[in-house]
Amino acid sequence: MAFPHRPDAPELPDFSMLKRLARDQLIYLLEQLPGKKDLFIEADLMSPLDRIANVSILKQHEVDKLYKVESKPAVSSSEQLCFLVRPRIKNMRYIANLVNADKLAGRTRKYKVIFSPQKFYACEMVLEEEGIYGDVSCDEWAFSLLPLDVDLLSMELPEFFRDYFLEGDQRWINTVAQALHLLSTLYGPFPNCYGIGRCAKMSYELWRKLEDEEDGETKGRRPEIGHIFLLDRDMDFVTALCSQVVYEGLVDDTFRIKCGSVDFGPEVTSSDKSLKVLLNAEDKVFNEIRNEHFSNVFGFLSQKARNLQAQYDRRRGMDIKQMKNFVSQELKGLKQEHRLLSLHIGACESIMKKKTKQDFQELIKTEHALLEGFNIRESTSYIEEHIDRQVSPIESLRLMCLLSITENGLIPKDYRSLKTQYLQSYGPEHLLTFSNLRRAGLLTEQAPGDTLTAVESKVSKLVTDKAAGKITDAFSSLAKRSNFRAISKKLNLIPRVDGEYDLKVPRDMAYVFSGAYVPLSCRIIEQVLERRSWQGLDEVVRLLNCSELAFTDMTKEDKASSESLRLILVVFLGGCTFSEISALRFLGREKGYRFIFLTTAVTNSARLMEAMSEVKA
Amino acid sequence: MDCYTANWNPLGDSAFYRKYELYSMDWDLKEELRDCLVAAAPYGGPIALLRNPWRKEKAASVRPVLEIYSASGMPLASLLWKSGPVVSLGWSAEEELLCVQEDGVVLVYGLHGDFRRHFSMGNEVLQNRVLDARIFHTEFGSGVAILTGAHRFTLSANVGDLKLRRMPEVPGLQSAPSCWTTLCQDRVAHILLAVGPDLYLLDHAACSSVTPPGLAPGVSSFLQMAVSFTYRHLALFTDTGYIWMGTASLKEKLCEFNCNIRAPPKQMVWCSRPRSKERAVVVAWERRLMVVGDAPESIQFVLDEDSYLVPELDGVRIFSRSTHEFLHEVPVASEEIFKIASMAPGALLLEAQKEYEKESQKADEYLREIQELGQLTQAVQQCIEAAGHEHRPDMQKSLLRAASFGKCFLDRFPPDSFVRMCQDLRVLNAVRDYHIGIPLTYSHRYKQLTIQVLLDRLVLRRLYPLAIQICEYLRLPEVQGVSRILAHWACYKVQQKDVSDEDVARAINQKLGDTPGVSYSDIAARAYGCGRTELAIKLLEYEPRSGEQVPLLLKMKRSKLALSKAIESGDTDLVFTVLLHLKNELNRGDFFMTLRNQPMALSLYRQFCKYQELETLKDLYNQDDNHQELGSFHIRASYAAEERIEGRVAALQTAADAFYKAKNEFAAKATEDQMRLLRLQRRLEDELGGRFLDLSLHDTVTTLILGGHNKRAEQLARDFRIPDKRLWWLKLTALADLEDWEELEKFSKSKKSPIGYLPFVEICMKQHNKYEAKKYTSRVGPEQKVKALLLVGDVAQAADVAIEHRNEAELSLVLSHCTGATDGATADKIQRARAQAQKK
Repeated sequence: MAFPHRPDAPELPDFSMLKRLARDQLIYLLEQLPGKKDLFIEADLMSPLDRIANVSILKQHEVDKLYKVESKPAVSSSEQLCFLVRPRIKNMRYIANLVNADKLAGRTRKYKVIFSPQKFYACEMVLEEEGIYGDVSCDEWAFSLLPLDVDLLSMELPEFFRDYFLEGDQRWINTVAQALHLLSTLYGPFPNCYGIGRCAKMSYELWRKLEDEEDGETKGRRPEIGHIFLLDRDMDFVTALCSQVVYEGLVDDTFRIKCGSVDFGPEVTSSDKSLKVLLNAEDKVFNEIRNEHFSNVFGFLSQKARNLQAQYDRRRGMDIKQMKNFVSQELKGLKQEHRLLSLHIGACESIMKKKTKQDFQELIKTEHALLEGFNIRESTSYIEEHIDRQVSPIESLRLMCLLSITENGLIPKDYRSLKTQYLQSYGPEHLLTFSNLRRAGLLTEQAPGDTLTAVESKVSKLVTDKAAGKITDAFSSLAKRSNFRAISKKLNLIPRVDGEYDLKVPRDMAYVFSGAYVPLSCRIIEQVLERRSWQGLDEVVRLLNCSELAFTDMTKEDKASSESLRLILVVFLGGCTFSEISALRFLGREKGYRFIFLTTAVTNSARLMEAMSEVKA
Repeated sequence: MDCYTANWNPLGDSAFYRKYELYSMDWDLKEELRDCLVAAAPYGGPIALLRNPWRKEKAASVRPVLEIYSASGMPLASLLWKSGPVVSLGWSAEEELLCVQEDGVVLVYGLHGDFRRHFSMGNEVLQNRVLDARIFHTEFGSGVAILTGAHRFTLSANVGDLKLRRMPEVPGLQSAPSCWTTLCQDRVAHILLAVGPDLYLLDHAACSSVTPPGLAPGVSSFLQMAVSFTYRHLALFTDTGYIWMGTASLKEKLCEFNCNIRAPPKQMVWCSRPRSKERAVVVAWERRLMVVGDAPESIQFVLDEDSYLVPELDGVRIFSRSTHEFLHEVPVASEEIFKIASMAPGALLLEAQKEYEKESQKADEYLREIQELGQLTQAVQQCIEAAGHEHRPDMQKSLLRAASFGKCFLDRFPPDSFVRMCQDLRVLNAVRDYHIGIPLTYSHRYKQLTIQVLLDRLVLRRLYPLAIQICEYLRLPEVQGVSRILAHWACYKVQQKDVSDEDVARAINQKLGDTPGVSYSDIAARAYGCGRTELAIKLLEYEPRSGEQVPLLLKMKRSKLALSKAIESGDTDLVFTVLLHLKNELNRGDFFMTLRNQPMALSLYRQFCKYQELETLKDLYNQDDNHQELGSFHIRASYAAEERIEGRVAALQTAADAFYKAKNEFAAKATEDQMRLLRLQRRLEDELGGRFLDLSLHDTVTTLILGGHNKRAEQLARDFRIPDKRLWWLKLTALADLEDWEELEKFSKSKKSPIGYLPFVEICMKQHNKYEAKKYTSRVGPEQKVKALLLVGDVAQAADVAIEHRNEAELSLVLSHCTGATDGATADKIQRARAQAQKK
């Protein structure tokens, strides 16, 4: 288990530099407001901030008290207030209310707003409209890349998904471009660039523009990372919507990993306290099971426990000197391992308990049926029952979306009845949720002329492929269709199973979904890397509705070492799941690559659905 | 070369002064200089003449004419003076001509007679008229000092940043001072004036009487005063023909001189240079020029013509109708080399080189002599330095040749000073050419001015090719050098009104291409400044950074173009800036129409409105006939904005109407159902109490059942056409929650269950009621029987059923439930059945 890397796998670049950079910048900004000050932090920024600078560092730079930016006003007596916020209009109103209240009370203080990762003009506009633009000073904390793990960088911008894919708001693209620019200044230029999707293309172009404006700096550097691959989340919603069954994904689905750490409740810690645990490569136990299919994890952990016991047992029969050695050198490590082991065993138990309660097997079976496209009626009734029983609003929604995407939209009858059922179960405000989902293409109705596929295939037999492509393009501009079934066939996403899929010794990336499905996003990346271009994937690109949005950009590779050419940065715009990360880690081990992940945020099906949901305030 | 020192005149024991010709003047002056107002800019700058300044007649032929010439007399501009009478002319440090009018208005002209701007020296000046004015230079820029008809002074130390200062009154001043000047001490401008035998110093706070130390007695009036170029020294000329020279602080006397001429001199200026051996003052009368210093004898020149003195940092320029000369103290290096019978190493080296050219062995003797003294390095340095002080290229060459010759005999002489001198002289000779007419001297003016400023001056004279050649010759970095000059050229080019927009744009693009550091938007801004909007837009097309295009486009009111450029740039902040601009500029309808065609801008604006201007958002949807979004908008309002139930229903009604318009029957129906539900929930709350509002339909029914209102619940289910399946699930769950097992059983028997009976087993088990659960197992359909039996824990029976079904999957399911010892028998049974099945 816990497959080792091939001996020739390249070393990962050291990303801790990003943390130091962010910390120094923050300290510089805090020092701009000399003297004691109270710091107001936006809730979403607290965890990332914690990974960069802890409270004692803040105190060192004369931060007196810490407040959370929330709806109710805070009472601070400090003469200097500093706000650390995301550039959101909501926050501007909060600050404006506070400042204006001070004004009414005839109180003058110093206010400083630090926007992270950047400031938006719209925010300044609001400050101006609220009449406090002159009273506050604004700054930017360009902290856009948080290294969550040795191979995982997160922008910690979950709102990216909704803003871009639902609202069509492109302002974060600039942030992405800036982040890429930072990476290329620190780790050298990227000789090979690939991407697919509108957002990927725009980000890439903007990034290139930034590089051109500031040319010269990176030119002479040796590339450390040979490839970069940008991918829009809407290229592959299916993978993100599936239930995760690798350990890390399952922990995320069950307990929600937040900013690289998880809160294990009393049911896991088997004490009366919750425990915040950092989940990354430094946790030796976790590191060995994170990418494993859940069915293997328990066996592994018990084996590990036995080994541990054996190591403990060694002390019997030791003489005093050996014992002294053991206590001073090994015991601490063993104890640490022991503690982690019991935590993960606790987590496994808790997951098992939850999953059996929810008929997890049935659920997975339905998902697999949807992915493979058989027994659609049965799956539909399963979903209906799911809704009727009010199992979980988010889960129901997820299944509906999965059905819609795999089937190119629901047939009108189902579309209506499922929606009606859903509204009856979970409340009428979800009418808006459905409107959102339709706009994002997650839950759609098959257009009356959606026998198109049939027409299309006939047409393509009659005329040349190119013309057919054009016709399809014309149609797809009317209704963006997912074409999942066709893509799945083309890319062989459903592995043919002869006999049982051995999850202990995975054959391919499908193991992350119990051998039933190879994640589409990862397959695309695999194929493009193999070909070093999009060549031969025209049909897939067309089916993804991306005829003009897939790009390759290669520069001369004379400077890139063969080691760097096996390092690949994958950028997920709109978030990626732990399953995808596990799948690509697996691919890397098979092929001798190392993948580095940059995501706008780590996501999962629940987060995607929540982003689309309208909830009563 | 024998007569080389012929024009050297000794002053005192140590210093020599020499005067040589810079140019023979090319101008064709009709008047005498004395009939004109004259101003010459320092650092070899241009000369301005205002002819007929004092004529009041309006006749065109005698109107004042303003003419501008280069230092070599090449005409640069000529224009008829149409404004008011001018009192004084002067050049600013940026080579702008300042013309001070009698009414206190200062008109500013460019080098080519192009009017730049004007400013006034204030009301007081306007009322009392200007009596006299001076333009002076400080380290901050150029200042203007004015003496008004009321004998008060007003000054501004920097015309670029105009701050007027009225100086305090001089007590008892009845008439104009006999002479005055501006001093600059400790970065503050003062005025020194002479009234009769008294001197007064005016600073911004007070007027104080001052006395120069060691002033000869008997002075009844000061006729002339002069401050040196650096404001360090002051000279006073009295009515007794006596000249006092001292520091400008009036604390120290340097020397004095009696010239015995009582006539007031026309001009008096300092002639000195930094590290001067013998400072001197040059005094000019109508036909006589006198150089006086700390020596009993003065140097005298006869002036053939009316002349004008221009003080420089290291000497004095003297120009007249026919010539332009330079008078200065001979620099040390030159003196050492050329002084008669000099044995200085440089002098010997020059000799040696000359002999070497004659192929005479004396060359060796001279060289040996220098080398014996170990002064060869010094000799080479001297020659290099002296070359810099020479005006004539042939002299420069022979000195450099000598230096180069001497260098051959030195092991390690760093070459940069020699190379740099060659380069500098080449540049200096180029700009000294009379076509260019910038007579800079090497030692101080050129070094003081810096090459950047020199380039600026060339650009100002529109000598772009020469400037570019110099940049290329000196290998200046492109951004500082060539690109900057090209950009200036382009800015000039756009002012050529007779050339079509296309041609100008093309010409500029051809020359500039993608030269780094050239900002097309700056050039476009200039074009716009000249009123050529179309040209500006064409030029902006060449600007690679769309972000740079936007502000100018906005300024030019091409907001829509600006919007598409901003969108192209991908910078949402920029888009937003344009949007707000558009919003103010256009009426609402047009604004919305514009947005409609730009989805990216639209979504950006929508996001903003969602938080800041909800009403606008509604208008936006209305304008677009986007009924779907309008419906969503009202739905959101129904639970976010409205509190009262009537308001909420009304909002929902509006939403439903919108949905109908959007042909979204489903949403419309759903909304209407919700209105019905809301009203009903309200009624339920009134009648039954408890909380019903905002529950989903499902939860409403559940709440009713849990509250024991079964009738109502059924009514509701009928009204809202709740499907049977849902109702069964709902009831089942609710009754189990109530643990009303009796009612549950009754319900199960009311008719055949549409959801089967497995759920009954499941739900009972969830409530841990095995007893009840078992009741339903018999009714579970055959396909699910095994599952049901397993649920209630009856493994043995499950095994029987599975064996009966001969279903492999069921068998393994049961097997997986067999635990250890208790189910050992069952497990065996299954294994046997399996084996049997396989046999068959």
